[in-house]
Amino acid sequence: MTDISTGAARSLPQRARKSRFSAKAVLPYIFILPPVMYLAVFMFWPLARQIYLSFTKTRLINPSRSQFIGLDNYDRLLASPDFYSALHITVVYSVMAVVLGVALGTIAALALNRPFPGRTIVRAVLLFGWAVPNVAASLVWLWIFNERSGVLNRIVTGLGLDSVPWLTTTHMALPSVLLVTVWQVAPFVMLVMLAALQSVPEEVREAARIDNADKLNIFRAVTLPHVMPTLQLVSLLVAVWSIRRFDIIYLLTGGGPIGSTSTLIVKLRQTAFENHDLGLASAYGVIGLILALSVATIHALFNRHRAKRSMQ
Amino acid sequence: MPQITLGNIRKSFGSSTVIPDFSAQIEDGEFLVLLGPSGCGKSTLLRMIAGLSDISGGDLRFDGTAVNEWTPSQRGVAFVFQSYALYPHMTVRENIAFPLIMDAFQKWYHIPVVNSVMRWKLMRRPDIAERTDHIARQLELTPMMDRRPANLSGGQRQRVALARSLVRDPSLYLLDEPLSNLDAKLRTQMRSEISALHKRVKKTFIYVTHDQVEAMTMATKIIVMNKGEIQQIGTPDEIYANPANTFVARFVGAPPMNLLNVRQHGTVLSLDGGAEWTHPGILPTKQASLGIRPENLNLRPEGEGLIPIEVSLVERLGAETLLGCRMVSKAASETLLGEDLIFVRVQGNPQIEASARFGLSYAADDVRWYDQTSGQAVTVCDNSPLSRCA
Repeated sequence: MTDISTGAARSLPQRARKSRFSAKAVLPYIFILPPVMYLAVFMFWPLARQIYLSFTKTRLINPSRSQFIGLDNYDRLLASPDFYSALHITVVYSVMAVVLGVALGTIAALALNRPFPGRTIVRAVLLFGWAVPNVAASLVWLWIFNERSGVLNRIVTGLGLDSVPWLTTTHMALPSVLLVTVWQVAPFVMLVMLAALQSVPEEVREAARIDNADKLNIFRAVTLPHVMPTLQLVSLLVAVWSIRRFDIIYLLTGGGPIGSTSTLIVKLRQTAFENHDLGLASAYGVIGLILALSVATIHALFNRHRAKRSMQ
Repeated sequence: MPQITLGNIRKSFGSSTVIPDFSAQIEDGEFLVLLGPSGCGKSTLLRMIAGLSDISGGDLRFDGTAVNEWTPSQRGVAFVFQSYALYPHMTVRENIAFPLIMDAFQKWYHIPVVNSVMRWKLMRRPDIAERTDHIARQLELTPMMDRRPANLSGGQRQRVALARSLVRDPSLYLLDEPLSNLDAKLRTQMRSEISALHKRVKKTFIYVTHDQVEAMTMATKIIVMNKGEIQQIGTPDEIYANPANTFVARFVGAPPMNLLNVRQHGTVLSLDGGAEWTHPGILPTKQASLGIRPENLNLRPEGEGLIPIEVSLVERLGAETLLGCRMVSKAASETLLGEDLIFVRVQGNPQIEASARFGLSYAADDVRWYDQTSGQAVTVCDNSPLSRCA
């Protein structure tokens, strides 16, 4: 008995040492290494670099000669009316993109969730906006919005109205950009929401019918709670994408006219590559990052609240 | 309480017909069990009665009024689903109160903020709160009123589903295999709870199951179904004692009724392989299969009785023992005949081992005869006053 126990005691540390380096222990790290490397090179390093740059005075012409200036860039940012304008436009653009994109996408998903002849074709047509690359879509819309030869103004003048300067007046530019954004975002929302709607258990819906619930109440009591987590997730995605969207806005208006569509990201590009001020541009980037992170935090808090409630 | 009449009900999905022609009448206060194998159309029939599925043809009448076009809520039925179908994000209290809230719901409550306020107010309305609490007390759900279905056991969820269906005091209860997701012990308990509930509320219950034990223990009337057609309608006793055809004979009873494809020569019955015995009663006028329940076969010492057998399977269940036996030919006593086992049920545990040999005897009254081609029951007539032809 004693022999056995001492033998076991002796072999235990050996085994422990062996297992620490065994293939089984190392394997998970090998598997997660490629994504970690990818994220480190293309995400974490540039992010850290950006945060660092936001505390420096760095010119695009000679980035290596940067000078640490503490919070000066943020001071300049908070003192500049351009920043508040960009922040305001970013928030308005993102909120409207989420509200309109998610609402339209969800309505389309609800319509497509019931069988009707030609459903597959309608779904394919509605997905078109999402399938077209952003640059191609923006160029097509640029042509549609063209004040003289664009399709939209032909319709407007055909109706006997004056042609509309879609992208060239301050009060029309942001709604026009939003129109294209929603056209791109809504199909994605529709696709995700359709999948969520199709997973609503039919029996629970039937139970509600038995319980004398009308269609709106069935939607409120059964469908909506079931798809709510998906709805929140898709809203988060659309919000984050909108905060950092660059291509559509830049290609359609370039941030103009008179900065009326100049979001934080458009402003970042302008500051970095037109004004050559990498430090200030990085500060814009950090503010954008904080904005995106706060949206994600709100989503996480919602999730936690839901998890807590379901544990009751 | 309605009398339900199903008149030539038909159900098709595209070109495939699930229920070709179903007619039956269900009386007030009955506990009707639709019994049949999976896919026989019993759940489809229940869903048609509830209004959850369209009726392809025929008439469904409640007290003589055709209700084919009525919505589920107009029919005033309660439906208990196999998966319970509870509202997962609502508490037990909200689940139970939901039908009452929906009954009191006005169209204008749909206005966004009004909706939440009114639902909150309705939940607290004295009559609704009282009724909810009363039903919860009846089903012993009071301690878990603020919990959500995800945190309840299967039996508790089933009770919440029952409570939700009870709360509106409907005149017709439809239950679609409500116990099939429960374990054996809980199933026995819930079975008696549902039976007690039926006796207490004195309403009509239609209960769908493929479990014959549930059917036999709870039903006042059973409809045995196969491939969308009625095989037999009767009380549990009638169905067990006098199956209308070989399908019912084989489906009801565990183990099922023994069916032997015997040949008649005068009063002598024989089986392929040479087993022969003299039947102790009157035989049908044409060739028929002999059916006898396992408990109606009596074991006799080897050499006695009518049919010599050898035990090849023993299932000791404690209170009773099931013996699976093969017939032994009288001519060549080594040959065991037939592929199908003859089941014999004996009381207690008489310590019988496999390969033991016995003789079997039976009383002629316990035998049921079935036409060998159609499978339908054949009546045997004699002149005695006890004859079933009388």
